[in-house]
Amino acid sequence: MADLFEGYPAEAAATAAWDEVFETSNTPREVYAALYDALQPLTSADLAARKAALDRAFRDAGITFNLFGEERPFPLDLVPRLIADDEWSVIERGVTQRVLALEAFLADLYGSAEVLADGIVPRRLVLTSAHYHRAAHGIDPPNGVRAHVSGIDLIRDEAGRFRVLEDNVRVPSEVSYVVENRRAMTRVFPELFATHRVRPVADYATHLLHALRASAPPEVADPTVVVLTPGVYNSAYFEHALLARQMGVELVEGRDLSVRDNKVTMRTTEGEQPVHVVYRRVDDDWLDPVHFRPESMVGCAGLVNAARAGHVTIANALGNGVADDKLMYTYVPELIRYYLGEEPILANVDTYRLEDPDQRAHVLDHLDSLVVKPVDGSGGKGIVIGPQASDEELAALRERVSEDPRGWIAQRVVRLSTSPTLADERLGPRHVDLRPFAVNDGNRVWVLPGGLTRVALPRGSLVVNSSQGGGSKDTWVLAGDPGRGVPQAPPGRIPVGNVRPAAGPDLGPVDSSDQQQQQQQNQSHQHQSHRHQSHRHQAVRRNLVAQESGDAAC
Amino acid sequence: MLSRIAESLFWIGRYVERAESTARILDVHVHRVLEDPWLDGASAGRELLAAMGQPADFGLSVDSRRVTETLAYDPDRPFSITGALCAARENARTARVVVSSDVWECLNVTWNDLPHTEELARRMGPHVFFRYVRERTAMLAGLVDATLARDDGWRFLVLGRSLERVDMTSRLLSSSISDHPHSQSWISLLRSCGAHEAYLRTYRRAVDASRVAEFLLLDRLFPRSVYWSLALAEQILAELDGGRGRGSPRSTVDDTARRLVGRTRTELEFHSVDDLVADMPDLLASLQSTCSTVSAEVTARYFAREAPRSWAMEVPA
Amino acid sequence: MSWQIRIEHSTGYRYASPVLSSYNEVRIIPQTADAQLTLEATVRTEPAATTYRYWDYWGTQVTAFDLHTPHTELVVTGRSIVQTATAPVRPTDTPTWAQLASDPVADEFVEYLRPSASTGDDPALVEAARELAARHSPSEFIPAVGDWVRERLTYRPGTTGVHTAAVEAWHQGEGVCQDFAHLALVLMRAAGMPARYVSGYQHPSASAAVGETVAGQSHAWVEGWIGEWWGFDPTNAVPAGEQHVVVARGRDYNDVPPMRGVYSGGASTSLGVTVNVTRLA
Repeated sequence: MADLFEGYPAEAAATAAWDEVFETSNTPREVYAALYDALQPLTSADLAARKAALDRAFRDAGITFNLFGEERPFPLDLVPRLIADDEWSVIERGVTQRVLALEAFLADLYGSAEVLADGIVPRRLVLTSAHYHRAAHGIDPPNGVRAHVSGIDLIRDEAGRFRVLEDNVRVPSEVSYVVENRRAMTRVFPELFATHRVRPVADYATHLLHALRASAPPEVADPTVVVLTPGVYNSAYFEHALLARQMGVELVEGRDLSVRDNKVTMRTTEGEQPVHVVYRRVDDDWLDPVHFRPESMVGCAGLVNAARAGHVTIANALGNGVADDKLMYTYVPELIRYYLGEEPILANVDTYRLEDPDQRAHVLDHLDSLVVKPVDGSGGKGIVIGPQASDEELAALRERVSEDPRGWIAQRVVRLSTSPTLADERLGPRHVDLRPFAVNDGNRVWVLPGGLTRVALPRGSLVVNSSQGGGSKDTWVLAGDPGRGVPQAPPGRIPVGNVRPAAGPDLGPVDSSDQQQQQQQNQSHQHQSHRHQSHRHQAVRRNLVAQESGDAAC
Repeated sequence: MLSRIAESLFWIGRYVERAESTARILDVHVHRVLEDPWLDGASAGRELLAAMGQPADFGLSVDSRRVTETLAYDPDRPFSITGALCAARENARTARVVVSSDVWECLNVTWNDLPHTEELARRMGPHVFFRYVRERTAMLAGLVDATLARDDGWRFLVLGRSLERVDMTSRLLSSSISDHPHSQSWISLLRSCGAHEAYLRTYRRAVDASRVAEFLLLDRLFPRSVYWSLALAEQILAELDGGRGRGSPRSTVDDTARRLVGRTRTELEFHSVDDLVADMPDLLASLQSTCSTVSAEVTARYFAREAPRSWAMEVPA
Repeated sequence: MSWQIRIEHSTGYRYASPVLSSYNEVRIIPQTADAQLTLEATVRTEPAATTYRYWDYWGTQVTAFDLHTPHTELVVTGRSIVQTATAPVRPTDTPTWAQLASDPVADEFVEYLRPSASTGDDPALVEAARELAARHSPSEFIPAVGDWVRERLTYRPGTTGVHTAAVEAWHQGEGVCQDFAHLALVLMRAAGMPARYVSGYQHPSASAAVGETVAGQSHAWVEGWIGEWWGFDPTNAVPAGEQHVVVARGRDYNDVPPMRGVYSGGASTSLGVTVNVTRLA
């Protein structure tokens, strides 16, 4: 019988990457044992049917993204990605450490800039970054937080070590897919959850709202938070709406806001209402026509000075993009040592700085075996993977790198780890990464247990971005044994000693006695009466049953 | 509530009601043309298009296929069923944060399945499409009823629905004005409002023009009558106005929209039944213009729509 | 000897149709730094608005305000009294060209060494800068650049705008103080000397009578770093001294515009700028 995993281990071994599931041929890793047992008996047809149901549910709910002008359901692969609790706690600590270092770095840069005076990071590097905004200088966020939300992209290298690939503290996105993927998986694959204890992700918005409220100007007792979206035509509009809805706050567009005397208000049916925290999903350049692009209609004129005056908090803060710069990334381990006095918990991927003539020469000699990335590209834009590039592409790249060495970095090609992914009716190894999300409320950095696992769907591809044909996986952080001191989510229910059964719901009047019914029926087809009646009762019972199972699936 | 969102809710109410009413009207029209051997299909179609504000060119032949194409499938016009549902869905996308997930999903699924249903209807007859639209809009109404809090958002949605219902019922009546008082078409009219059974139980006698007009315009209990819808709109406007109005509660009503609706409702309430048929053309025209004036007034007062701001740089000195 | 100067600077706009709202930032308050002392400064707008002041990245005091009453004309007036200082003697014990090219200098003054929007490079200008630098010490170089610029540019108002780049003015062979300053900056930076743009006012007369009000002008000049910042006015071939009032410093004009804003409404035309200066002491 064709097994779902047939041929998979051999194919995975051939990629020379770390496989998430198989330790050796046909031996799944311990953390995947239960999942493997649950999946193995399934047929590919079964998976396909569930996949169809899933796509349908996503389409109905409007969880789609725009690919080449077509609305498509967000591609979620049905095989979840599992992370054991001990491994997760390393990631959690590593991400937290990184966020704290980046926060300290940003506060320093837009303040006294000691890191530059001390020569930890070359001044040149910061001052030539396209995302270093001098307009942000002197804006002090009330609780000191600048990266309210961060997304730290991780990969697992060939030896199974998690490494940081890039930092996103500008406008990190795609967290909505984490939440929606989980919701969808519990519906189409409920039985998988029965054999695993998966840490929940549904409370992300609660943490976000808490952090946003904590960042409000201190004199406001009950701050009003809004989510600022560019509008319904933005590809991430779905996410903006989801977050606003789950936080219970207004989703505003730039035109709903206005600023007078540095106070921000939104236009409501009850007149202008004050706004204290703007969780903006509009890029810096478009945020305020007074300081940035004057043609911007999606921003709000006067917002930057309102923040400067301390009447409103912009989250994430203006100018965070300087920390996303991929050349700056190479200094983050140094920043961790400088600001926190700690050694990095999560290592970087080894990276060449192309401004250094020796490193540049080496890279230019080995372009065909390296990955070269623009320093401020996002979404996988502009990346050239040497071994997969044509000679013409490499020649063009060589020219561009030589012209603007500050604009590029180079890394060795890391074979991202692989995970079984449904393609062409069977499971094949596909490369994955992981983006954990961290929320900083000023007292604590909270890391959403899970994050988004992105999958490069084409065979052999190393590009996981959804804008480039990537998919995703639900990411399960497994809760540890309660006895082992691993932080546990609070239990969902308080156990009660004796459950007191309630009386059943009231019933309406019985319209006719059995006798009467029988008589009515006898009028037409006497001999069927008994069967008919028992059918009816059965139907009623069946209804109840159906309702019950409907509940369980929710 | 954000003005922009409130406006979207108002238009969800209007567009969904428009889709439903249009589906009812068309369903009846198409079957009437089929069933009634004496009916001049072309002129009935022409009258219907005119009543819906979409007069056909004089030279054009107006069979029920053309009427259906125009009023049901045309995706580019906001008065066709497809167009109205698209517009409603777009507005729901904008108001995604305040409409419940149930309501949103219902509209989104309706919209997703429209092309498929249209295709089916082209093979199996338009009734499939009309029935689909009626079922989906009924489901939506049920979800609105069951899952939306009775806050201002709900009020704007229901206000939009009520105004649209007044407008649609009056258009429907005006499409039949020229029919003989005992014509079969008055029954069709009742049917398209889903009012035939209610009418029969109320009057317990044969259908005739003046009673149909009376029922659809004045009935106090039937929820698709003009009076009932106006009264609901008036009540909602009063609730919206409450606490906001500047005028003293002891003097006249300050809110223009509320005043207009109240006056129209009162005029209907005290209209003599005997004159109803004779006065109908004027009455219906005035109802339709009231609807658009009220809509404009509500927009001006609550939605405070401003021309999109575009910013220019000061020229340097 | 130090001077006390009163400055009244007014700038305005007229709009083709009423402006419903506008947001503006003006940079017209003189600095208090080095030897200059601003004794008094106010900014008023017509229509009246509440103003908000802050210091920007470059150390300039910015006055920001927004208007929400429909208006067809906007006038901003700044009044200030400033105590200026005599031009410092041009330092002679300065770093050598090689020292200026060292890493610590390059790192510290990176912003003032790289071409900016209005001070873009040009091979011919780089060549000219090299030649001048070869013949002069850094200290002599600054006035020499001034001479070079004045030989090539004729002072002629109205021939260039605020966004004219140095290279364009150079090709055109004419311009105003701003273009003189930008062109000087290109050469200084090309030679490896940190150089910055200064915007402010100039009292036109070196022998001004106390108490007499005369028409002055918004002015621009440069500062080069030769162990310390030293100001020079390439338009007038003089070191920046008691006639010069510093308002703002930056990489070029774009960092220090006297007035910048956005508005929604009809096309705007400038009502022009008037500056009146009075030597008080």
